[in-house]
Amino acid sequence: MEQNNHDFSIPQRQPSVAIGIILIKFFRMTIKAMWPILVSLVIGRRAGSTFDDIILYVVIGFAVYNLLGSILTYFRFYYYIKDNAIVLDKGVLKKTRTNIPFERIQTINFSQNLLHQLFNVVSVEIDSAGANKSEISIDALRKDEAIALRDYIMAEKKQLIEESGTEEEKSIIADKSPSDLLLHLKPKDLIKVGVSQNHLRSMGIIFAFVFTTINEITDNISDFIADQLGQYESYVVNNTLFAFVASVVLVTVISFLFSLVNSILKYYDLKLWLSNNGLKLVRGLFNREEVTINKNKVQMVSWSTNPIRKIFKMYTLQIAQASSTEVNAQKSKINVPGSYKHQISKVINMVFPSEYLGAEAKHFISPLIKLRIIFFYGLIPSALGLSTWFLIEEAAFYFLLILPLSFFLGRAYYKKRSYEINEELIRSNSGIVGTENMLTQIHKVQAVRVNQSWYQRRKQLATIKLYTAAGELSIPFISLSEALQLESFILYRIQTDKREWM
Amino acid sequence: MTNHFENLSINPSELPSLEEVNFKPIDPNYLKVSLISSALFFVALVAGAIAIIEFSDFEEKTNGYLISMGAILLFLAANITLTILGFKKKKYALRQRDIIYTKGLIWSVRTTVPFNRIQHAELKQGPIERLYKINSLKLFTAGGQSSDLVIPGLPDDEALSMKDFVLKKTEEDGAEQS
Repeated sequence: MEQNNHDFSIPQRQPSVAIGIILIKFFRMTIKAMWPILVSLVIGRRAGSTFDDIILYVVIGFAVYNLLGSILTYFRFYYYIKDNAIVLDKGVLKKTRTNIPFERIQTINFSQNLLHQLFNVVSVEIDSAGANKSEISIDALRKDEAIALRDYIMAEKKQLIEESGTEEEKSIIADKSPSDLLLHLKPKDLIKVGVSQNHLRSMGIIFAFVFTTINEITDNISDFIADQLGQYESYVVNNTLFAFVASVVLVTVISFLFSLVNSILKYYDLKLWLSNNGLKLVRGLFNREEVTINKNKVQMVSWSTNPIRKIFKMYTLQIAQASSTEVNAQKSKINVPGSYKHQISKVINMVFPSEYLGAEAKHFISPLIKLRIIFFYGLIPSALGLSTWFLIEEAAFYFLLILPLSFFLGRAYYKKRSYEINEELIRSNSGIVGTENMLTQIHKVQAVRVNQSWYQRRKQLATIKLYTAAGELSIPFISLSEALQLESFILYRIQTDKREWM
Repeated sequence: MTNHFENLSINPSELPSLEEVNFKPIDPNYLKVSLISSALFFVALVAGAIAIIEFSDFEEKTNGYLISMGAILLFLAANITLTILGFKKKKYALRQRDIIYTKGLIWSVRTTVPFNRIQHAELKQGPIERLYKINSLKLFTAGGQSSDLVIPGLPDDEALSMKDFVLKKTEEDGAEQS
């Protein structure tokens, strides 16, 4: 840490490029909040009513307010280090001072969007343990300065813990093993990841976007669609099959391209490092993120695959950290698509005690779940469908196709649903078309719940749910005695384990 | 009971089972509170129905009244039956190292939170609950909202002593841990 050219004890502003970055952030926030008004303005202007002009002034006024706000935000923002804590002074009308002691700092993460990359600056996020408002961020810092700041804080923190930390904390700090690059997503792998994305999901996103946009523009979707369709009616009647095939192809191509581009933007040049303390991840094309994960904070590791990804022998690895607020729950889950099996087992080896890893007996759930699935997803929908007989006559018989579908659904679900348990770990396996596996340490469970529906009570079955600080793990339809044994064993393990869960 | 898990060092069937725990029912006043609040809800519903029928231009008002009031009555009867029968299922138990709460007539749910996983505890009292001097004890864990434990229908003094007991236990078990 010989970079003493940075003196952090004097209050400093961010580099001036931060004004631009804050401004863009503000504008994005404004546009996100007000785009429906903007869209309706553009359309409404053609009508040329005076009311719309008023709205326009309001929008301009709001934008100017934001602009001034961001400039003031920049000039009122200072950061410095004092008494082994990082201090941030900010606030335009209400001044606030945030003070985070070094011991409480968990990780310091950098991220860069396109603008950051152009000016060689990073945005810094400091994640601390405990309290609700656990995250503070600095919009822009020169990269070398940010790295120096992080090194300085981490070195100071290390010293503090050496002086007065617990044994466990010391062992974490003392560990100076270098981190190895475990995974690097090369362009070929990136394309594979893009190709094997869930294209149905992209289709859903596109549809949702198109519909909300139409909804904002016109007041009445059905009128709009009837209008549009009316124009093409004669055309469609003559060319139904062609129109159908063409639109299916078009929608498929668009969703495919959407998910491909999306995954390239998000996962470009993804790198994952492993060290004995935790993991470090860097990814993204325009928006370069860097995330550090502390080993102790990891609550659950999941890996999943879908049929296309399975051809490439790839999995999506998800590492879920404890999140201090509900809002951050999504953010604290880190997805690494395009991981191979051996890489996943290395991550698991590192995060969870490896002496407990091994092949355990698979416990399957009750086959009665197949009947339940056929009942809820087959019988009831097809009965409802048939009851539309008086509306659509013979066409109602098509609803009977749901029945065999639900049969296969139930079979596939039952076949893949199982769990494995040993002294230390519990793992759940599931999936219908793809597969999904979740693994957690038993002592990280926060609460246990046993549910029984009316049907399950009759059949002496139960569903057990385990809540961790990063999501829940549930095992449905196991026999009641099995559920009770699991419940008492897991509770016993939580209550006797002397380790911290975080 | 047969052991389902041979690979574990402890036979789970030898551990104290939650089935044998003595559960305590919650305060009977809670039943009154829930009946009063559903009565208030139904009064609002009836008023709403009358307003809709009177202020819209229905041709046949009697039919409107018959259908809407019939539906509301049916709903009310179902609600009252479920509230009364479901009340007996609301029970809790304090064990040496955890707290258990069960509920649910049709879908029964039993939630257990070990003391060493409780983040904080709070008592809540609504306006009707205040009349009957009962409280709800809310226990927060890191497992998110869905796993938070809420025990309703605790008399004032009992609720307070229970909260203190839980917090004391949490501190003891937590201190043991690190």
